[in-house]
Amino acid sequence: MVIVFQSKPSLLAGGVVAGPLENRSVFSQYFDAVYDDERWQMKTNEQGHRKMIEEACEFAMKKMNIQNGDVEYLMGGDLVNQMTPTNFAARDLAIPFIGLFSACATSVSSVIIACLLTELGAANFSLAGASSQHNSIERQFRYPINYGAQKPQTAQWTVTAAGYALIGKHREEYPSIEAATIGKSIDYGMDDPFHMGAAMAPAAFQTIQAHLEQRNQKIYHYDLILTGDLGQLGLKLLKGMFVENGVKNEELTFLRDAGAEFYGQDEAFQSGASGAGCSAAVFFSYVLQQMRAGSYKRVLLVATGALLSPLSYQQGETIPCTAHAIEITMK
Amino acid sequence: MEKEQYQQLEQNVTPKPPYLKNVAKAFFVGGFICAIGQAVSLFYMIFFNFTEATAGNPTVATMVFFAMILTGLGLYKRIGQFAGAGSAVPVTGFGNAVISAAIEHRSEGVVLGVGGNLFKLAGSVVLFGVVSAFFVALIKYILVTIGVVSW
Amino acid sequence: MRLLGITLPLLAVLMLLNGCAEKEKFIVYGSPQNEGEVEALIKEEDFVDRTTVIQYDDSMLVAVQIKPWDKWKKAKLEKKLQKKFDKKYPNKDVFVSADYKIFYEANKIKKDQIEDNKLSDKITELIKLAKEET
Repeated sequence: MVIVFQSKPSLLAGGVVAGPLENRSVFSQYFDAVYDDERWQMKTNEQGHRKMIEEACEFAMKKMNIQNGDVEYLMGGDLVNQMTPTNFAARDLAIPFIGLFSACATSVSSVIIACLLTELGAANFSLAGASSQHNSIERQFRYPINYGAQKPQTAQWTVTAAGYALIGKHREEYPSIEAATIGKSIDYGMDDPFHMGAAMAPAAFQTIQAHLEQRNQKIYHYDLILTGDLGQLGLKLLKGMFVENGVKNEELTFLRDAGAEFYGQDEAFQSGASGAGCSAAVFFSYVLQQMRAGSYKRVLLVATGALLSPLSYQQGETIPCTAHAIEITMK
Repeated sequence: MEKEQYQQLEQNVTPKPPYLKNVAKAFFVGGFICAIGQAVSLFYMIFFNFTEATAGNPTVATMVFFAMILTGLGLYKRIGQFAGAGSAVPVTGFGNAVISAAIEHRSEGVVLGVGGNLFKLAGSVVLFGVVSAFFVALIKYILVTIGVVSW
Repeated sequence: MRLLGITLPLLAVLMLLNGCAEKEKFIVYGSPQNEGEVEALIKEEDFVDRTTVIQYDDSMLVAVQIKPWDKWKKAKLEKKLQKKFDKKYPNKDVFVSADYKIFYEANKIKKDQIEDNKLSDKITELIKLAKEET
């Protein structure tokens, strides 16, 4: 499960753009741009979604002063049917592209593939990331935006954000990826699409556990273990599982969750944020910037994804989940 | 950790929905919406030639119109989050279900988008409403025929 | 939304208090004949809350308002009263209605003191309206 990268590919830059509601995020100061219009002046939500991806990629490239033509590969995905926003963004960016779907774990799975390509010597630069746009995802998985259904406290809010990272050959002064773990698809029998944190927590637990075991590490070897979008309840469950496993309470403070922190303590968002854009936005802005500033030396990013579709839960299937992890270090 | 063990943990961590609070909220908001409906009904009786029996139709149309405006302004979903069934059960909730679907699918065109999806959520309300009305009427008809009750 | 949670129960209480204001229970307009008799007839039935009777020539419009819980059986009670009046005044053309609209209009006739020549038309109009379906 664990891949160790000998060449230690580096995360050279991150590009993160977000929608208007994300101004209320505690991480908004780290984003490259926060737009007032959730559709980016486009006619439909899906077009806005595409535009958002393009802009995130452009921000990442601009930071390293490179053009579309310099980037060898684009890896990414979103949650819309057949991932048209990402596919269409790839058309406009004109970079060789593979679309990836690991639900909200795409933000990390794409980075892993990009690292493998870099390690292989096939790429000098590649872009990897994920995105989600609230309106187009909600209609996909739940109800129309303006439908007045009551969301339970366990529900999470899909963020409008795109986060893309530029990955290149190892450079000392940039955060580098040492190892990665590709997670299994885990199903603990959870079947409530309004309680995704509970479905995803076991997947995150198993991936972290497997990574630590095979790398011969303990939680305290990390400055931060950041999961993607478990939400407040999911994070509680993850900590609960570690406690059952004999992990001491003081170690649990290293465990944080991007989704739980994304909107602060705002009750309007119930259990917190979710969506592929949530983990991507936080990983490729806040975490990268903190690492470059030297606040964190070793970080484990664990993006979690619930692999359901509206069809599957209406047919009564439980929700299998996955989690992928990358270990990032900074000299 | 085993599945059963995890489900136990999940049960402990997940907060119980505040049923009593939700019921109270639904009661008052639902009652408030119905009070507005009653006011509209009285309005039609006092200022137009509608009786209690005939004021129903224009009242329902007006309430759906109000729901349309609130839905378009994005306020109905907030009321819905607060009130739950209180705003979903009155006819305004039905209006909201139809109108939110119409707004949502406008981007796919008028015929296939709006037309095809208008009753996406409200369709089952219409279907099961008609079906259950049929059975209730059937039962009453049988009871009247054998003389248990009168119309 | 929290504000709404406080104001709604308050509003409900206010509305309840308003409803308690006392009003005249029995009104007759037009020729005052049989006034006491009709009132006694209505008083016999305890489901009737308020009544307005309009009398003109041989026709009589009895507009009643039924007490809240008895409203479930509105149609039945209306019919019962109609039968009762038909029996008591076989020579008169009596029309009983429990509809709010008819009650409201009857009160308006009293308030506006509509003259005899127009009264007949008005009553026919109201009866026609009450018989209208949907």
